[in-house]
Amino acid sequence: MLDRLTLSMRASHVLAALLVVAALVLAVVGSAIGDTFYLRLATEALIFAGLALSVDLLLGYSGALSLGQALYFGIGAYTSALVLMKVPSFWLAMGAAAGMTFVCAIIGGLIANRVRGVYFALITFGLAQVVAKVVYNIRDLGASDGMIGIPVIDIGIGPFSVSAGNPVGFFLVVLVIIMALYAATAYLLDTPFGRVLTALKANEKRVPFLGYSVWRARMVCYLAAALIAGLSGALYPMLRGFVSPELMFFMTSGNAVISVILGGVGTLVGALYGSVFLVIIKSVIGSWTDHYLIIIGLLFMAGVLFMPKGLIGFVRPHVERMIAPRHLRETRAPEQDAPLKAEEVKP
Amino acid sequence: MSRPVLEVSDLSIAFGGLRAVDQVTFAAERHRITTVIGPNGAGKSTLFNMISGALKPLSGTVLIDGVDMTGAAPERLKGAGLSRSFQITNLFFELTVAENLRLAAQVLEPAKRALLPIRCSTRAQAKTQAMLERFELTHKRDELAGNLSHGDQRRLEIAVCLASEPKILLLDEPTQGMSHQDTADTAKLVRSLTQDVSVLLIEHDIGLVMELSDHVVVMHQGRKLAEGPPAAVRADPQVQAAYFGHA
Ligand SMILES: Nc1ncnc2c1ncn2[C@@H]1O[C@H](COP(=O)(O)OP(=O)(O)OP(=O)(O)O)[C@@H](O)[C@H]1O
Ligand SMILES: [Mg+2]
Repeated sequence: MLDRLTLSMRASHVLAALLVVAALVLAVVGSAIGDTFYLRLATEALIFAGLALSVDLLLGYSGALSLGQALYFGIGAYTSALVLMKVPSFWLAMGAAAGMTFVCAIIGGLIANRVRGVYFALITFGLAQVVAKVVYNIRDLGASDGMIGIPVIDIGIGPFSVSAGNPVGFFLVVLVIIMALYAATAYLLDTPFGRVLTALKANEKRVPFLGYSVWRARMVCYLAAALIAGLSGALYPMLRGFVSPELMFFMTSGNAVISVILGGVGTLVGALYGSVFLVIIKSVIGSWTDHYLIIIGLLFMAGVLFMPKGLIGFVRPHVERMIAPRHLRETRAPEQDAPLKAEEVKP
Repeated sequence: MSRPVLEVSDLSIAFGGLRAVDQVTFAAERHRITTVIGPNGAGKSTLFNMISGALKPLSGTVLIDGVDMTGAAPERLKGAGLSRSFQITNLFFELTVAENLRLAAQVLEPAKRALLPIRCSTRAQAKTQAMLERFELTHKRDELAGNLSHGDQRRLEIAVCLASEPKILLLDEPTQGMSHQDTADTAKLVRSLTQDVSVLLIEHDIGLVMELSDHVVVMHQGRKLAEGPPAAVRADPQVQAAYFGHA
């Protein structure tokens, strides 16, 4: 029988489909009028949406706030850049980025998962800052300038080939990859393992008494989130032709967290919408004034105050009601209840 | 007679200078209700915490089915067939009643199903349904656990513990805060559990203890004061002085 969590996930899929339709419309219109600027901007929005997705997997499902998720985005980007300079192969770059991110995430996860809550947030923040500073000082990685001159590659997909320099073509490639990452995450969350993550968020101390290892679940979640961030990051140098240490800085991690909060924590698709929204706002307001950060800050505060569940958190219950079978239609949606705090286990 | 399902020997723990549990030894027989009683602060919940892996004992051993499980992590004890409830209701309040049960029942499935879609775990789903029916919660399956009445939450907590088909079930004051009628219903329920499991119970209601228990262990200030059949324990002058004297 369909249950609430599966229903919420389906409502997210409806909204994700809507986003894909909007993207396809943009692709058609953009190629018809020969636009480059907006297609590249939208491609960048999608790439950062991947990073936001990884933040939401951690925060929205297992309840762990990472303030340094850009670390894995940056590792993916640098690995991809290094590979592309030697061998201009899309698949090799993606594979290497995934492998490198995975290995680094095992180390990062062993460190960060020793603690939880605020301490987890601080450790993830610290890890990213340390690695960013190290990269900033390594001459072979371009130091503070980063690496430029990454060649424009041709992406071979079966018999077809798309140039990363083609705005529509690359936009569609990125769209497919980010939506595949979304689909994989959604799949994971609708498995028994994914449900253990929601249990962790709801009441972590009860989980071991159900027979699940909290450490293992948190670790797997951390690795999956890092992979998503790393694969998204791997796309960045293909779009921009360069990488820089800023990709790992707090600004990047912070933007991803803001995207998730604006879009709706724990909705998955909200991370995508939030990221697109943030990139659009930034470029629109950025074209009026240099002080766009002030406006983004104010927007963020207004969002948190007046739409605490985010854009999708606000919209999704309505979608749920539309697609719900009768037995789930009467009762209140979980989103509308103030979550009760779990009682502490008496130690 | 077969070996007891749970054997505790010389179990001790100290908090600072306080010996919260001091060299406690007892055994719980299969398909019986063994009850631990004692005044507030006697160390009953602390004893449960050590048996269930929430606290590591300072010394002593815990055997489950004859296997040494002293100080094992809770998830390993679960694998060994031990389930426990908590004195303070401890559920996933933001999840539905059915999801609370399904999470517990999932351990019945082979590990590889953990990464298949949830609907493939048919055994866990069937168990959830069976538990909903047995505990009369079917009409509340999609309610959030946090929205249930106190009595329903306490019942759900027992159901959650039972959903993993344990060998031994530790219940810490399951009737706490319940109405008279709910208490009576719960007593009947606990009695019916012994068909499938062995029960280790903490209970304050002496009437209930006498009615339900096959074996009673009395604790006082961390130590075991006496043990035996309910009637014999009640007649023990030491127990009367320490425990019933206050009641
Ligand atoms: N984590 C802890 N740290 C310090 N002292 C503790 C801790 N847990 C329990 N205690 C102390 O150990 C003693 C035994 O507590 P416990 O909760 O086991 O009693 P109990 O028999 O379950 O009582 P009640 O009937 O009130 O539930 C008490 O004095 C309590 O204050
Ligand atoms: Mg107690």
